[in-house]
Formats: sequence, structure tokens, C-alpha cells
Amino acid sequence: MSSAYLYSILATAAIFTLLALSLNIITGYAGQAMMGIAAFFGIGAYTAAVITTNGGHFVLGLLAGMLMAGVCGAVLGVISLRLQADFLAITTIGINFVMVAVFNRLKITGGTLGLTVKKPVLFGVRMNNKYFFYMTVVLIIILCLLLVKMRRSWFGMALASINNDPGAARSFGINVNRYQILAFTIGSAVAGLAGGIYAHRMGFISATDFAFVVSIQVVSMVVIGGLGTLRGPIFGALLISSLPEILRFADDYRELVYGLLLVLMVRFMPQGLIGEDSPIWLLLTKIWRRFFPKKKTRADLIAESAKGGGH
Amino acid sequence: MEELMRIEGLKMYFGGLKAIDGFDLSIYKGETLGIIGPNGAGKTTLFNAICGVYVPTAGKVIFEGKEVQGTPAHEMAKKGISRTFQISKPLSGLTIFDNVVAAAGVHEYTGIRSYFHKAHTKDVEDRAEEVIREVGLAEVANKKASDVSLGYLRRLEIARALITQPKLIMLDEPCAGLSNFAINEITQLILNLKEKGQSIVLIEHNLPITMKVCDRITVLSYGKKIAEGTPEEVRTDKQVIEAYLGEEDD
Ligand SMILES: Nc1ncnc2c1ncn2[C@@H]1O[C@H](COP(=O)(O)OP(=O)(O)O)[C@@H](O)[C@H]1O
Ligand SMILES: [Mg+2]
Repeated sequence: MSSAYLYSILATAAIFTLLALSLNIITGYAGQAMMGIAAFFGIGAYTAAVITTNGGHFVLGLLAGMLMAGVCGAVLGVISLRLQADFLAITTIGINFVMVAVFNRLKITGGTLGLTVKKPVLFGVRMNNKYFFYMTVVLIIILCLLLVKMRRSWFGMALASINNDPGAARSFGINVNRYQILAFTIGSAVAGLAGGIYAHRMGFISATDFAFVVSIQVVSMVVIGGLGTLRGPIFGALLISSLPEILRFADDYRELVYGLLLVLMVRFMPQGLIGEDSPIWLLLTKIWRRFFPKKKTRADLIAESAKGGGH
Repeated sequence: MEELMRIEGLKMYFGGLKAIDGFDLSIYKGETLGIIGPNGAGKTTLFNAICGVYVPTAGKVIFEGKEVQGTPAHEMAKKGISRTFQISKPLSGLTIFDNVVAAAGVHEYTGIRSYFHKAHTKDVEDRAEEVIREVGLAEVANKKASDVSLGYLRRLEIARALITQPKLIMLDEPCAGLSNFAINEITQLILNLKEKGQSIVLIEHNLPITMKVCDRITVLSYGKKIAEGTPEEVRTDKQVIEAYLGEEDD
């Protein structure tokens, strides 16, 4: 395998990891059905592409793509307040199809012909797959650090509460609507960022790049890895991205394989391969704990003292 | 006695169904007020209409001198009105401890700004531990809420309400479905709160408990108040005996 080829696979995998993490914010953390993440991926991609083809800087393009996708995500967030989970899923599928149609029709997006995007120059070097890969990895690391901080903050507590029971969340002061909109906004903005990178890495985009199957692919990544964890979507994205390489022979049946994997997973291992409480992850932590005993949490200490104290 | 909350002409209609149909009530600081009535009388709906889960069809809810009817539930919690749910609403994926911590953040959920404040501070954990011990949840503190029994979930409801340091705590059938032993423990817990001067509204189907714990009792039937008074007065009220107590003798 040539290194150019390797970096092309790695760059794609990294971009999809970012996309999987974006979906995980909306569906994994906030618990909102989202079956149309590719629409926001596309909004970010076209926005960034239009900016740079009109002479804007690459970084400006990425930021604009994030902003545009974030604003559209906020609008969807507002719409989501009126919808129950099933209807939200269907609505987001609909949005995906509508956006593909829009990309196909608008002049600014190049219509059915698509857009050719010049490879950007960053810090004096023309970006190739290798640079796109490293750049995306850096962004993934930054995002992960931000997400770890989020999980420990009251913001993370709010999303976890809403995900578990919105009624309970309201009863202790959480403005569910506001946090739901925020989750859609942030998740969509990250998807938009991934889109901006994607457009420039590909050098050419057209509406089919953001079709509904792409959304399903990202859903598979998150679900197969493990919804609501940080490691799950990353693992899922890497796995699914390398699948075409592993399953070369089954190229024609790729979508079938994703679909089948997704269905089997939801049916038999809804926690995902390495998600919270998945058998594999429990086993791995058990082995890990042999060598590195668990640091006791405050909750563990309270429980122990109650049992030891002869209650 | 100082009035904490006053409800005037409260109505809650669901289409043609008049779940609450013109209800008046005063709740005084430091008292324990019982609300009883047969199943379907509208007790839970009354809580929901007061706490902002529903916007009342008509009427006023006055809390500390201000009209608050129609205020969303999350704002009510911040104002100091905290309620428990008859059907427990645990955050199943979190530990009991984290369930209580989540509720401790009642004034912290400020939107984007809440990103910059850590949830598990020493102060919050100390307060959570105190409440967890107070309500008897210590032995399951590190268990996932999905893994504990109903008795613990009922205590969790109370713990989450308590940690918001409410001016008024509203308990919706905290003993329903529990064993006699657990009922006694919860009753004792409510008596302890009362001792501390907590203002309490208690919906309870179990009459002996209500009689034992409450200073005053309001009786609800088909969305209307049919009696109100001390436990003794209510026990001997003819209408109450017909509407409610009668069914117990069947
Ligand atoms: N959201 C709702 N929509 C329609 N009807 C409702 C709703 N909530 C309660 N009800 C009806 O209101 C009446 C009172 O119910 P509820 O308040 O739960 O009674 P209780 O708590 O006294 O047993 C019942 O007839 C119930 O079916
Ligand atoms: Mg009820």
C-alpha cells in the first residue's frame, strides 16, 4: 500500500470520526433522533467551498461552514421541540432529502454538476491527504478534550438528564428546550466543520456526497461503536471506514453490509461493541481492573460506609 | 400563620374532561397539608398544574405573593417549588449519587454558561451525600438507578426534591406500592422534614398515614374540593365518607 493511498484512507476515516462525534452530541448525549446529519455535513461543505472558491481563506471557509451548519442546526432544534422521537427521526430524514435536492438545484452549489474546490494552502504548504489527516486528528483531539470537559460540567449533566428523562430534568431546573436546541446547534456545527474539511480534501463535491445513505453510515458508526460514549463513535468510525478496504470483494454490497450490521447491532447489542455496559467493554474493564484497580468514587465510599456501618 | 402559596379558582381541562374544576387552597409556611381523594380525582393533575407541567385552563397560583401560574416547570423548581413524581422518573443510566447531584444543579443550568462550571465539586458532593444519608439511600449510592428497587426509587424522588432546598416540597404518593416496613420509614422521613420546619404538600392514598402526618387535609373528588380541615374533621365529614372512605369498606 502506497503512503499516499494510506493517507487518503486515513483522511476519510478522520473526517468521518469527526462526523460521528458530531452526531453523538445530538443523539448520544442529548438523546435526540437525528437521521440527517449528512445534510449539515453538506451545508458546511458547500459553505466552505463557496467561500474559498470566491477567494476567502480556508480557515474562514471552515468557520463559515461551521456557523452556517450551526444556525441550520439551531432551526432544526427549534422544530424538534414540537416533535416526538419517531417524528423527529422522519423529519430529519426528510430534511436530508430536501437538502440534497437544494444542493442539486442551486446555482451557487453548482447544481447537478457539483463544485470543484481548489486545494487550500495552509502555512505556506499546499494541503494534501497527509495534511488533511493530521489537521483533522488535531481537531478530533481538541473536540474530545472539550467533550470530556462538557461531560463533567453542568452542561453535560443537563444533557444526560434530558437523555434519561426530560420530565425529571425539568423538575430540577433544566430548561429542556434550551439545551435541546444547543445540542442540535453544536452537533450540527461540528458536522459542518467536518464538511468544510471534506470539501477541500476531495477537491470536488456534489449532492450525492451528502445523500441519506451517508447519514445512515454515520448512524451505523455511532451505534456500532457505542452511543453516548466518546470511544464508541471513534471506534465505530474507524471500523466502518476501514470496512471497504477489508470488504473489497463486497464492494457492490457495501450499503447492504452497513444496513445489516446496523440492524443486527440494534437487535442484539444496542449498547454497541464497546459502549457503556456492552459485554465486550465490561470484559475489557474487568481485565484492566486486574492491573489497575478502580479508584473509588465518592458514591462507592458512601455505599461502603453504609454497608460497613451495620445499617 | 404566614401564607406560602394560594391557589384561586384553578381549572385544568383536557378537552371536555374537567380534571380540576375550580379549586381554591391556601398553604401555610411550615405546615404539612394532605391532599386525598379517590383514584382519578385529579390530585396528580393538580400538582402538574401548579408546578408548570401544564398551563392551567384558568385560575391563579400565587407563591410568596406573586402570581406564578403558567410558569414553566424548570422555573418553578428555581423558585423553590419542588415535586416528586407518583411514577418515579429516575435517570436510569446514572448512579443514585449522580441522580442526586444532577438535581443539586437546580440553579446551575444556565445554558451555554453551564459548560464552564464543573458539576462534581466538593460542596455539591458533600450536600448530595448528606441528603442521600438523610433519606436512606447510602447503601445504593453507587448503583445505577435502573438497578434499584421501587422503595429506593421513591426515596430518590424525595432526595432529588430535597437537594434543591425547596421552600415547598410536594410529594405525590411517596408510599404507593411499598411494603409496610418501607411505608413506615418514608413516613418517619416525612415527619423528620416536618420537624425541621419544611412546608409540605402530601398526596397520599393511604389514609392512616395522611391522618398521622398532616396538620390539615383537603379532600378532592372529581376535580373539586369536597372537604377541608384537621384530620379529625375530615375523618368525620359525611361527604368524605360517602365519596372516599365509603369505598374502603366495600
Ligand atoms: N394529560 C392528560 N390528558 C388527558 N387526561 C388526563 C391527563 N392527565 C390526567 N388526566 C385525567 O384527569 C383525571 C385525573 O387524573 P389524576 O390527576 O392522575 O388523578 P389522581 O392523581 O387523583 O389519581 C383522570 O380522569 C385522568 O385520566
Ligand atoms: Mg395520582
